[in-house]
Amino acid sequence: MSLKGKIALITGGSRGIGRAITLKLASEGVNVIINYFRRTSQAELTAREASEKGVIAHIIKANVGEPDRIDSMFREIEEKFGRLDILINNAASGVARPAMELDEKSWDWTMDINARALLLCAQKAARLMYNGGHIVSISSLGSHLVMPVYTAVGVSKAALEALTRYLAIELAPRKICVNAISAGAVETEALRLYANEKSLPFFQIKSTPAGRMVQPEDIANLVVFLCRDESFMIRGQVIVIDGGFSLAPAGLLNPVYAEGEKSGES
Amino acid sequence: MAVEKSMEVEETLRRIVAKILRKDDVVLTPTTTFKELGADSLDVVQILVALEETYDIELVDEELKSINNLGGFIDYVKQKVAEKK
Repeated sequence: MSLKGKIALITGGSRGIGRAITLKLASEGVNVIINYFRRTSQAELTAREASEKGVIAHIIKANVGEPDRIDSMFREIEEKFGRLDILINNAASGVARPAMELDEKSWDWTMDINARALLLCAQKAARLMYNGGHIVSISSLGSHLVMPVYTAVGVSKAALEALTRYLAIELAPRKICVNAISAGAVETEALRLYANEKSLPFFQIKSTPAGRMVQPEDIANLVVFLCRDESFMIRGQVIVIDGGFSLAPAGLLNPVYAEGEKSGES
Repeated sequence: MAVEKSMEVEETLRRIVAKILRKDDVVLTPTTTFKELGADSLDVVQILVALEETYDIELVDEELKSINNLGGFIDYVKQKVAEKK
């Protein structure tokens, strides 16, 4: 069944993975509401690109870490659109510090934006999903793998994934499908900042058994599938999209990757 | 008039900083830095957002990198406010 005419809110929808999701949904005929935090010019640009695909594109500036801003965002959505069919919980932030150096404020900031926002947005969104709907959150491998200085974000993503399961069951009778996508390292501006700041060897992050990094469009394609009726029976799952990275850590298995590349050449 | 507007940005910034840092006695001088005021990176982000919303402007992180103190920051904000008009 087509997604044409549906209405989607994409939090953090103007840049990186969120932008790719926004544009992919727009290309499927979905009217998009792009939530963003600070860069109005970037949000306007993404909205223009989306509207060129023949859909309505609307931008709303709001920090999803603040409950009153979530309230006003959903009031605006109700006034302008009257309903919502799809919520993409993508906005993320975080303070990159080891556990021993994390202060309360950094912890709260990260948890509020990455985990609590799903709860508050899902509560508001479900009330506007009169004919069922889809909620898809973007998580990361840091929810269960340990990565340098990723403590707060990793824990917030673990909470996000657990909440996905609870919401999936609670909202199932209302025909609302709730799932999450756990992405490996995705080639975005945010990853470059993280890798540079922590002096991570970028070549290692870039190695996957699939032979390339995950691109934002890979995630967008999966989001579209999870918003279609074909995925109706998938509930409360965290679907990993990482080119096999988490199954075969690069540091251990680089020779195997190389072997794969060689055999591919022959 | 120009002077009033100029003072307005400084007073707005002072009120925003006082609210976010939960301090009553914030004194801004041109050579002070956010760090010296006791603001960490999250405080600075919140200050930027509050200013953006007050004046409906966009403060660009890349442009802010070359600014070293509050004097330069206030000039930058004033420039953005002027461009908006």
